[in-house]
Amino acid sequence: MPDTDVEGLLRQLAPQVLGAVVRRYGHFDTAEDATQEALLAAAMRWPRDGVPDNPRAWLITVASRRLTDLLRSEQARQRREDTVASRALPEQRLAPAADRPASDADDTLVLLFMCCHPVLSPASQIALTLRAVGGLTTAEIARAFLVPEDTMTRRISRAKQRIRDSGIPFALPPAGERGERLGAVLHVLYLIFNEGYASTSGPHLHRTELSAEAIRLARLVHRLLPDDGEVTGLLALMLLTDARRPARTGPDGELVPMASQDRSRWNADAIAEGVALITGALPRGPTGPYQLQAAIAAVHDEAPSAEATDWPQIVALYELLRRLSDNPVVALNHAVAVAMARGPQAGLELLGALQADQRIAADHRLHAVRAHLLELAGDRAGARDAYQAAAGRTTNLPQQRYLNARAARLADGP
Amino acid sequence: MKYMILTYASQRDYDAMAGRPTEEPVWSADDFAAMAEFMEAFNKDLADSGELVETRGLAAPVLTRRLQLQNGVPVVTDGPYAETQEVLAGYWIVECDSFDRATELAARLASCPAPEQVAATAVADVRPIADARADLEL
Repeated sequence: MPDTDVEGLLRQLAPQVLGAVVRRYGHFDTAEDATQEALLAAAMRWPRDGVPDNPRAWLITVASRRLTDLLRSEQARQRREDTVASRALPEQRLAPAADRPASDADDTLVLLFMCCHPVLSPASQIALTLRAVGGLTTAEIARAFLVPEDTMTRRISRAKQRIRDSGIPFALPPAGERGERLGAVLHVLYLIFNEGYASTSGPHLHRTELSAEAIRLARLVHRLLPDDGEVTGLLALMLLTDARRPARTGPDGELVPMASQDRSRWNADAIAEGVALITGALPRGPTGPYQLQAAIAAVHDEAPSAEATDWPQIVALYELLRRLSDNPVVALNHAVAVAMARGPQAGLELLGALQADQRIAADHRLHAVRAHLLELAGDRAGARDAYQAAAGRTTNLPQQRYLNARAARLADGP
Repeated sequence: MKYMILTYASQRDYDAMAGRPTEEPVWSADDFAAMAEFMEAFNKDLADSGELVETRGLAAPVLTRRLQLQNGVPVVTDGPYAETQEVLAGYWIVECDSFDRATELAARLASCPAPEQVAATAVADVRPIADARADLEL
């Protein structure tokens, strides 16, 4: 089996193995280390010796053995050997309860809820999710987030310690909390996707591995919770956004805005899949923010050109979205849609109100949109100043070059 | 032993690279792409040889905040640098066998594609890193 197939198989099995080991033995933090070691051992051995008949069982056995070793050495150190007895294999002593089949699906969901627990900071939630559920190594996660491996190692072990200290049980959250906790899981996946789609620093715009990983994890959650509209909405949103990636940068790595993108380069399969998902989810209700954002992305993706886009429908969807969340970026996008539907002046009026919002007043995006609308309205000098103001407010070099080029083009004309 | 390779640029250099018109010629899209490609390959080589510890580019000097004590209280000055003053723009920390090897790595930066007037004045420094307190007390 080629290395890439083994890697894909291991990533798919990672949360199942960790879930099974934690369910049997507890000790999430140590079990996580043991599972990583089992995955590493498999990654070295399987390409050479072949994949065992039951790869999942192989991994669970190796991880359990390693966990026992780790716990023994820890406990020898701590001279508390009595605890190991109380931790031993409840499922080997008791028949499983009839009403609780501990399926892999449950385990993976429990892991996700655990990694995205509100006691952890967002940075820790992301790192732990990528490692425990995504099966990425610490080195890979560190590289994706451009931090030294040491830092990431510490971030992950601190997160695991936090989980241990908070005594969070390895179980699904109570029904009353589940909606909110699922919201946290989806937010983490959304952050991972965005980190990959719009990397915030450096000469490169995409760190596509992270987007691909976020999509893979969203697919996993969608398989586990196929009837949840927001899970479907998030997966659709990621697919419909990622579909535009091939057209989003030019040959020299410069940013290409959606209006100028070569739509024939958009990924038609991803669009078809995303549209089908969101079309299936919307009528089922209730409609949440991810579904609305996916619906907006679908309207864009299905339009043959920027001009031929159904802007009134996009305006209506943004109005629904604004009712659900008071988010200045949503308000900004709403203003753009209004400008496209009713003319630049109508959009500029909405921007006026946003300029007083401290959360976005200094953001380059507000100035870039203002510049664009002023340009559409024919105010070349105003547009030039606003493009320059926007360029001075982003640290991303390709964005700076794009905005300065727009400003320079306006300087040449009348 | 660890060494730091440092490169420098002025606010004006940053503006030229970001495509903002100044007295210096603005970098063309080709200039910029060639530089980015060189840096990517340079960093990858360092990482592949196992010598790269870390590398970063710094945002424009105009974004600097300087802290100074005034009557025992830290006071912040925004953008303390003059337009043409060359300040730290980026660094690499490398771990290698000798000062000469670190110097050899830094010398490769000389072949980084850049507009003529930028290449003509570019400098890089290589400095040994004091690893531990003991190094400083020797």
